Amino acid sequence: MEIKQVVVSHDGKARHLNEVSTVIPKGKVTTIIGPNGCGKSTLLSVMSRNKVPLEGKATLENRDLVEYKPKEFAKKFAIVYQQNDIPADLTVEKLVMYGRMPHNSLFKKKTNEDEEAVTWALQCTNLLGKRHNDLSALSGGERQRVWIAMALAQQSEILCLDEPTTYLDIYYQLELLELVKQLNEQYGLTIVMVLHDINQAIRYSDHVILMKAGKIIAEGLPRDVITKEVIKEVYGVNSVFHEDEKLGLYMMPLSI
Amino acid sequence: MTKKIISFIAVAVLLIITVIYAATTGSIQMSFIEFITNFFNPDNADMAAIKDLRFPRIIVALFAGAALSVAGVLLQAIMRNPLADAGFIGISAGAAFTKLFIVSFVPTLFFFTPIAAFIGGALACFFVFLLSWKSGLNPLKLILVGIAINAMFSGLTEAMISFGASASGSITSNLSFKTWDDVSLIVTYGSIGLILAIILYASCNVLVLSDKTAKSVGFNVTAARIVIAAVAVLLAAASVVVAGVISFVGILVPHIARRLVGYDHKVLIPFTALLGAFIILLADTLGRTMFSPMEVPASTIMAIIGGPFLIFLLRKE
Repeated sequence: MEIKQVVVSHDGKARHLNEVSTVIPKGKVTTIIGPNGCGKSTLLSVMSRNKVPLEGKATLENRDLVEYKPKEFAKKFAIVYQQNDIPADLTVEKLVMYGRMPHNSLFKKKTNEDEEAVTWALQCTNLLGKRHNDLSALSGGERQRVWIAMALAQQSEILCLDEPTTYLDIYYQLELLELVKQLNEQYGLTIVMVLHDINQAIRYSDHVILMKAGKIIAEGLPRDVITKEVIKEVYGVNSVFHEDEKLGLYMMPLSI
Repeated sequence: MTKKIISFIAVAVLLIITVIYAATTGSIQMSFIEFITNFFNPDNADMAAIKDLRFPRIIVALFAGAALSVAGVLLQAIMRNPLADAGFIGISAGAAFTKLFIVSFVPTLFFFTPIAAFIGGALACFFVFLLSWKSGLNPLKLILVGIAINAMFSGLTEAMISFGASASGSITSNLSFKTWDDVSLIVTYGSIGLILAIILYASCNVLVLSDKTAKSVGFNVTAARIVIAAVAVLLAAASVVVAGVISFVGILVPHIARRLVGYDHKVLIPFTALLGAFIILLADTLGRTMFSPMEVPASTIMAIIGGPFLIFLLRKE
């Protein structure tokens, strides 16, 4: 996916994305980081077609996103949002089956292919045993994985996650990031996600996009992009970076 | 699975019993045996009177109940709000207003009253959406906007009546003196609406997902909302034209139906239609026979039951 000179404004005046250009590398894990209100989510909503750019355009396989039909686009691009309401009286399997909609008409019978895709999605997210459980009976981490399973059932090439770890405790955060890593390595999925935790971004991404005030400040390999100077500039936080064999590169915020 | 089947059978049996009771009770009394044996007897005067006077009323009650209840389910699906009801949020009032307008000022267009009622209902529905859209269809905001729209259209209708418009059956519901013309009207429009509602079950099911998520799986949320809203308005308008405004049924019936058969619209919509038909006929029949010769309109009975029920719902949430 390619973003070219995109300008977005929520109120018609202020530029919430100001001539942003980037390329999401195929088959890699890309993480967007930056302080609150920097335009991370806005950039995601351009990619997911929830916002149409005022200027510039977003393209996928050299076609403008606005040219795609809804289902056609959903076959290429799946997104999991940060917070999802849990519908009443719905089993895990039924929810994940909604992910098959792009491949199906609402009125057609489910095919073997649908069944296989759902089983695969449940297997990847380690939810096979919960298949027939009601959504309300799941833990927080399991719920987040159900939504990921639904997105996986779309069998898209790109999987996008908007702050997937925000409401989870550290156990589920790690579980989720390991899942993302595995999906990328085993199935070659292109991952785009927004994270708040800089160390998680360093550890789990191939490519980092750092944003501030509606602009991309830097992008590239995590160790090239995320430095002491940049953290000071973008977040206004003094930090220490450390690297050793056991922990890899990590950052510790010190003071403001 | 069994609970669903038992619910369907139980309500169907109750419905049949109520139909027979409604047909045989009143100023002309008839035993069940007499009713069955004389059903196809053209020479029985009592039977002829029942067929002429009570059958239209029964059929109108059944269809009005089914139509309003299903309209409730559809509105609740598109607004993601268990309190959405055509009577509550002004759709019925909008339909009643335009209907009265046509009847009073351009009576030559009488034939088009259902269409006028549809336009009035659609207008009210459009306003409710427009004014609560910014809050992300926040349930409370939506209901408040609905109450305002309802008050506005009810007020306009009352104003027209003060200026001398014919008031019969416009504001309060009235199921007496229904003719076979009324029956053909509500059966035609009601059936079309009910069939469309059943066809749209899958779209209603997808709408339990948030808009963003539904969109992300390639579902056209806006188009689905418009189509489902149109069917809901059609159902509400059809029953308002023939039976007047009956509130609460659109909240009460779907709520009980969900308890009995669950949230899957494939089962919920047909069951709600059945249950709604039963409940309005029951309300009308009780209102007609309990205090005979006085008559209590079905809408009044629904309000008396519906008020406390709504409080019960609000306390539980």
